[in-house]
Amino acid sequence: MKQLCQHAVEAAKHKGATYADARIVRLRNQVISAEDKRIDEIRDTESFGVGVRVIADGAWGFAATARVEPGEIERIAARAVEIAKASALAKAPDGIRWAAEPVHNDVYRTPVEKDPFEVSLEDKTGLLLAIGKEVLAVKGVKKYHGHIHFRREHRFLATSEGTLVESETTHGLASYQATAVDESTAKSRYFSAPARSAGWEHIERTPLVAEARRVGEEAVAHLKAKPTPVGKKDLILMPSHLALTMHESIGHATELDRVLGMEESLAGSSFATIDKLGTLKYGSPLMNIVCDDTMPFGLASRGWDDDGVAAQRWHVIKDGILVDYMSGREVCHSIGAERSHGSCRADSWGSIPIIRQSNIGLEPGTQPLTVDELISDTKDGILIDGWGSFSIDQRRENFQFGGDCFWEIKNGKRGAMLKDVTYQAITTEFWGSLDAVCDQRFWEPIGIFGCGKGDPMQSAIMTHGSAPARFRQIDVGGATK
Amino acid sequence: MNESHAYGILQKALDAAKAEAVVATLNGGTSATTRLADNVITQNFESSRAVLTVSCAYGQSHGTASTEDLGDESIRAVVEAAQAIAKSMPPDPEYMPPVEAAETGKYPKVDGYVDQTAGFEPQQKGSQLAAAAKSVAGKGYRLSGAYTSGDEFLAIGNSAGLKAYHRSTQGEVHLTAIGDNGSGWAEKISNDTDEIDVAAVADEALRIAEMAQDPADLEAGKHTLIMQPAAVSELLAFFLWTGLEAKAADEGRNFLRGKLGQKIAPETITIRSNPAEPNCLSEPFQHDGLASRTISWIDKGTLANMMYSRFWAKKQGKAPTGYPSNVIMDGGTASVDEMVASTERGLLVTRFWYIRTVDPMKPLLTGMTRDGLFRIEDGRIAGAVKHMRFNENPLDMLGRIEAMSPPQRTGEWMAMLIPTLKVRDFNFTSTTKF
Repeated sequence: MKQLCQHAVEAAKHKGATYADARIVRLRNQVISAEDKRIDEIRDTESFGVGVRVIADGAWGFAATARVEPGEIERIAARAVEIAKASALAKAPDGIRWAAEPVHNDVYRTPVEKDPFEVSLEDKTGLLLAIGKEVLAVKGVKKYHGHIHFRREHRFLATSEGTLVESETTHGLASYQATAVDESTAKSRYFSAPARSAGWEHIERTPLVAEARRVGEEAVAHLKAKPTPVGKKDLILMPSHLALTMHESIGHATELDRVLGMEESLAGSSFATIDKLGTLKYGSPLMNIVCDDTMPFGLASRGWDDDGVAAQRWHVIKDGILVDYMSGREVCHSIGAERSHGSCRADSWGSIPIIRQSNIGLEPGTQPLTVDELISDTKDGILIDGWGSFSIDQRRENFQFGGDCFWEIKNGKRGAMLKDVTYQAITTEFWGSLDAVCDQRFWEPIGIFGCGKGDPMQSAIMTHGSAPARFRQIDVGGATK
Repeated sequence: MNESHAYGILQKALDAAKAEAVVATLNGGTSATTRLADNVITQNFESSRAVLTVSCAYGQSHGTASTEDLGDESIRAVVEAAQAIAKSMPPDPEYMPPVEAAETGKYPKVDGYVDQTAGFEPQQKGSQLAAAAKSVAGKGYRLSGAYTSGDEFLAIGNSAGLKAYHRSTQGEVHLTAIGDNGSGWAEKISNDTDEIDVAAVADEALRIAEMAQDPADLEAGKHTLIMQPAAVSELLAFFLWTGLEAKAADEGRNFLRGKLGQKIAPETITIRSNPAEPNCLSEPFQHDGLASRTISWIDKGTLANMMYSRFWAKKQGKAPTGYPSNVIMDGGTASVDEMVASTERGLLVTRFWYIRTVDPMKPLLTGMTRDGLFRIEDGRIAGAVKHMRFNENPLDMLGRIEAMSPPQRTGEWMAMLIPTLKVRDFNFTSTTKF
């Protein structure tokens, strides 16, 4: 495969490319779904092909094929150059500034203890059915959906600069949902082994069956929960919830291509423009947002990005101030950086690499603080667990989020379950209200298994970690006004 | 991939299979996109693929595997993988055998393949986009967007003797014109790239952008709203996909439970699917071989049909419908100008963004306005206002429609023919900063 990648690069150079890279990717997905007492589907899919990206005449071209053979590779290399020449009809006046990167020649593999693709299907279906049996044993639960998904991506990347790397990453999750139905409505509760770069051991270490009755009981309790209050409340957001809030209000807002307007027509742009770099008060001084593509369990960790840049760890927001972005080799010069942070990824051999969110998360608090202590210190608030509805404007300022489950907090004690809670805020005002973050013991990584961006849309994966955190006086309940 | 080549691959899969029942599908095509940002072509790519998917069953145990490697060895391997999965799977009481060959007699005739679209070259797109960008830049605005074209095919063969092939072409351009303090957006979709006038789309985006500059503050609340087709289509897509599933409704899990056959909207509302609808063509059959139905979902205000899978239809004594192949909302005769002229105070929006379900049982949706929100006073557009968030019940909204235009082709995710709507008391709940 490495030789075929190099062959593609040489073929592109021969046709006039001044830069070329080639990726051969084999992506396997195994999905098992359960509904009530039955297995609904087992699906095993494999995608395999090669994409060649070039700069010719100072502009980009990319072509891809599922026929991974020398003659076809030469054809698409030539086609990529031809497409680049079409791009040159409207190219940047200064051409493409491609940041330097050391040459790499190595292999990266996700640390896996138990290969999930070697675990029998009987074990996987047996697990989903065992969870379902517990969930459906709860009176009032009328529907159970269970889901196991593993994916493995084997990638070879060669560049005309001499980089030649190989990565094999393995990712998986197991999740389920209990739905209770009464005469007037239906409500659900969700639980998961969150998506992670790991093997089957991640599933085994998560108490999926042991938690099933509680999950079912909370779905039933959700039916009779108190309606959401309307007004300003302190919010305690658990890592299972905060992951998505960070993803939408920080992660997308600090992708440098969006910031520069390169995704304006579909995914949108960002309020966190480069003129504010180093000065924008994104949040309170407790807010430290770090990208880390070196952590082994992170879904974005793969050794090198699709620009051939080695994985890194860096602050995007430090002590509440915007200090950096997620970047690629084409755009990092716009903020005066000589080297990309390596955030460019494509979702398949057939897609062009674009800046995707790295593993980006909130650093834990530096002072000892437990979740119980945080609740005890809160007089009038709401604790939110899990994801619900989520929506944000295209510049990432006005957002509204729901959740999976909610409890009121009164005078330092967790009280009754609530339903239909949403909160709405402007990003910098919300993060400015952050006044407490639990310590490292409570920090959890939560994986996102399908983030859409690009045009046509590509789907990427990444991890967002945090500890439970508190936000003061946030507008709650506006959706139901 | 042409018909005979596709059938040849499918036949190899069917011949290799030893399972009691087999369904093989092959779908793919070539897609090419030229992307523009700030008047520059920033990405330009072309990708060809074909995916062979094989489902095998023994009794009620079934399994599915797929591959993009269409060599003989790979075809045999994917069949064996599907068979191995089926043997490991517990019997599924909801399994349905392959669709019978006679189903092909129900397939509507759809001819959505245009040779020049399949052969549309990057140079042609590049020239048109470069000219549009130059024109927009000359007015002091930046042009961003994408032009995608290509062909796709779907072929199916199964052990019940069903055999079918369909191919089509697509062209779609959407452009955003961006000024210092506001943007405008426009699109054109057609099976035939000859019908796509990039300059006209850019002009429309620019016209909206020029009006959208320097938006003023306006308090959120209930406003009369004129929604262009792109905005309406996004609301309807969420509404239909979360509400029309018959199984969820019958089990009490969605907002249309118990409403089949009932009046849920005014007489003026008809929402339907027709794969052969001119200017909104879609596939004549679905991936399991079921014919795409010409069907009304809401017929003159009555919930006439819901989506029935083959299993759920059999269980409930109904005819299977499959999924909507496209969505057509019958419109009225009003023009947008007439709607504006008849509005004393209201708003006009180009499109929505990031719509999500807040409460699937009401239903309640939230989302943002985008690329042009305008205040109407005394029958005239009085200026741009900052974008707003809505929380609205789309079912309830159908009862507040005051005017409809003839439908236009739109649809980000599927083919849709949708009118512009004028709706009273649309519920905006907050504003943003631009």
